[in-house]
Amino acid sequence: MNTSTARARRDQDNNEGTGNARLRPGETSAVQGVNPRITAGIRYATDGGIPGEWHLRIIRSSVPAGRVTGFQTALLDDEIIFLTPDDVDAAGLPAFGCQIADQTVLTREPKFVGDAIAAVLAPTLAAARIAASLVEVSYERAPAVFDEMAAIAPDALLVHRSHATSESDSAYFDMRPQDGTNVCHRFRIRTAALQGRQEPNVITELDDSDTALADAFAQADVIIDEVFHTPAAAHVPMEPHATNAQWVEGRLEVVTGTQTPFNMRQDLAHIFGLAADDVRIVVPPMGGAFGAKTFIRTEAITALAARVSGRPVRCVLDRDEVFNEVTRHPSTVRIRLGAKADGTFVAKRIWAYVNTGAYADCGPGVAQKMGYAGVGPYRFEHVAVDSYCIYTNLPPGGAFRGYGAMQSVWASERAVDLLADRLGIDAVELRRQNLLREGDTFCTGEVMHDSHFEELLDDAASAVGWEKDGDRAGKGVAIMLKGMQTPSKAEARIQLLPDGRYEVQAGTADMGQGASEMLTRLAAEYLKCDVDQIVVCTPDTDRVPYDTRTTSSRSTHMMSRALADAAQDLLQHGTVGHGYVSNDGGLDPDTGQGVASSHWHQGSAAASLDVDEETGVITLRTLYASSYAGKVVNPHGADLQNEGSMILGLGSALFEELQFSDGQMTNPNLSDYNIASALDVVSISHKVMQIPGAEVHGLGETAVPPVPPAIGNAVASFGYHVTRLPMTPERVLAAAPSHEQASPPVGHIQGEEGA
Amino acid sequence: MNLALRVNGRTIHADVEPETMLVDVLREHAGLTGPRVTCGVGLCGTCTVLMDEQPVSACILMAPLAQGTEITTIEGIPEDDAVVRCFDRHHAFQCGFCIPGMVLTGRAMVAEGHAADREEIREGLGGNLCRCGCYLKIIDAIEEAAQ
Repeated sequence: MNTSTARARRDQDNNEGTGNARLRPGETSAVQGVNPRITAGIRYATDGGIPGEWHLRIIRSSVPAGRVTGFQTALLDDEIIFLTPDDVDAAGLPAFGCQIADQTVLTREPKFVGDAIAAVLAPTLAAARIAASLVEVSYERAPAVFDEMAAIAPDALLVHRSHATSESDSAYFDMRPQDGTNVCHRFRIRTAALQGRQEPNVITELDDSDTALADAFAQADVIIDEVFHTPAAAHVPMEPHATNAQWVEGRLEVVTGTQTPFNMRQDLAHIFGLAADDVRIVVPPMGGAFGAKTFIRTEAITALAARVSGRPVRCVLDRDEVFNEVTRHPSTVRIRLGAKADGTFVAKRIWAYVNTGAYADCGPGVAQKMGYAGVGPYRFEHVAVDSYCIYTNLPPGGAFRGYGAMQSVWASERAVDLLADRLGIDAVELRRQNLLREGDTFCTGEVMHDSHFEELLDDAASAVGWEKDGDRAGKGVAIMLKGMQTPSKAEARIQLLPDGRYEVQAGTADMGQGASEMLTRLAAEYLKCDVDQIVVCTPDTDRVPYDTRTTSSRSTHMMSRALADAAQDLLQHGTVGHGYVSNDGGLDPDTGQGVASSHWHQGSAAASLDVDEETGVITLRTLYASSYAGKVVNPHGADLQNEGSMILGLGSALFEELQFSDGQMTNPNLSDYNIASALDVVSISHKVMQIPGAEVHGLGETAVPPVPPAIGNAVASFGYHVTRLPMTPERVLAAAPSHEQASPPVGHIQGEEGA
Repeated sequence: MNLALRVNGRTIHADVEPETMLVDVLREHAGLTGPRVTCGVGLCGTCTVLMDEQPVSACILMAPLAQGTEITTIEGIPEDDAVVRCFDRHHAFQCGFCIPGMVLTGRAMVAEGHAADREEIREGLGGNLCRCGCYLKIIDAIEEAAQ
């Protein structure tokens, strides 16, 4: 009913928006015949291999913190090559890291259960597995810290003794490590009137009175002050991390599934003391990534093994290793939101505690994005944000579809509903009243352009039959903005081949989002030819020009314009066309002023559901998301990206949570860690919002962040004030409204009335 | 031990340890990349193959147990197969890693009349996971193939 209506509307929109791609009648992709992804006609990194390669198995720490005191290797066969931190030292390999130089290829001082401390290399995978099981490791164990609030406490033990910013291109903003603490980066936003105050460097308590900035709320009649939590989660790419490496006449060649080929090239060149040109990264299609295949993962150790052994080497992770390789940052987010009695927002204060685990990876960037996404698409007189990227002894957190925005949007959109209840104002109307509109100024100083928040909000509300001031039992909405990697660069080249076809050379990696399909369709459109005349080459840093990376839903937006530029160049100048675009900006880490994003990902979600009051089980009737796409290149692909984002968000909302015991992950498998299946999607419908003449917007993550708070707000409409994801039946029951109190409908609200 | 397996209509010989899983024989000895290992514990369906037309998880099936049966992988399905064509028509894939298993499971459901409506299709797909989240289009594809 509701679902089919929304589905029909979506299909109609798509037919209108199919645009200029010249596909053959009846076909849905630019590939001639059946798409090879259906028939196993493409090769992933895990399928490939270099003839004669040996197999690498990594030996991992079983302690969350301490020192390796020895290896017993007497049982290893003679042919086994055993690599330790001594080999790393002998090779003179420096520390590395995409934003903070805090990792080594193998470590003597493991900082999480699963940290790479040694490796074995054998001619077969079976021999490598046996060898890895025969190595005994002795440790001197040290105390560890796992929780972000414990790790930021004044007396916390330090995971790293010092902080060292990376010189990688991936460190695209100034780091603000807090010496003597576990904070490797502190990002702040302070709107004009709140700048230049005397403040503590680090706020370590969730009930801090925040006296230095308290006057920001002077005009507020009502203040909500609440803390929300999000656990670690797993990316679960269906294809594990797979890397093949060899050295050819002094050059390093790596075939690996990565979203970041040029960052990989630079970082490997740094580690091995090579010129960037002496490292070649080839990226076959990936069987999913979702952020898990960013920056150096298995590549450095595989390259070292290849160099030491003088052979090609292959490393494919087991599923439990994929789980531990990189996770989504567990986070604690405190929101303070103040408004006047008429609903006008006055001020917002955010404290985001971002648990980056043992290594920073891109945690500083995640912390920054979590910080400003939590402000939301609203007007405020005053905004102050503190976002802390905090080391602990958990596996490293990294890029994860949604990139920090999910954690803070979960908190901030739940807080808006708490405020609406306190004010007695309809939750949709309260949002509408305060939304950023064209020409309004965001907390970073950016003037909003191409903003569609009101249409998105209305669309979500109508999808669940929201009635103004009516009965909203079981219904919830949420809205959000999310930034795109800024600054960044994209280059594309198009070459006319001797047979009259055109080859597109671009660094955009295909992880299932349809990069190659997008490039094919757009190149055909720009060159005014059939899609059959376009060939897209595999990303290969020896062959394609520079691109920042395939993350943050930037590629369709950035690379499409570089490609248009290249096509125009080719049409003017003959056989080769080169295109280049950059987006400039960045935020001051101390004030958050500047350019967060050259365009905005804008999305809303709505949920309609039931809660079983005896079991706490949530049953979704409708889960809807509306995402702004500008111009759509591939209608089916756009649907799939939006649906996929929603389904990921649904898992985060209801059941996905990595669990740990003394730092050891206890559910690193698909039996104990559930992801959404076909059985979970019955309620889903969505809209990809297009505007004629608009530019191409990214769509890869937009529907992730608003889904958990839309569900949470719907659950809260029955009085279950859940603050911790996922909203398991146990947590819902624990948040049940007390029958003894004639309490406000949304349970307990911290905080106090404003002056 | 020496194994002789019937795979996609031809006979594959492999000298392997008896506890070797079928998926490893298919990938390493038969050169087939359609069956894939994701969870390794028979839950996600990425390794699905048909054994005498029944979907099985090749990552937890010891290869010797497949002797005397007809194994079909995605490579053994013709491109004009109705389920394959419906997956293509509905663009029911993103990264594609899980799709061969989805097609084979869908094919068995259609063949046995277990794809009567969307609810039955969802139930039938419960053991095939897709992290990209292509389920709606996969269900569309199987629904059409069953008609």
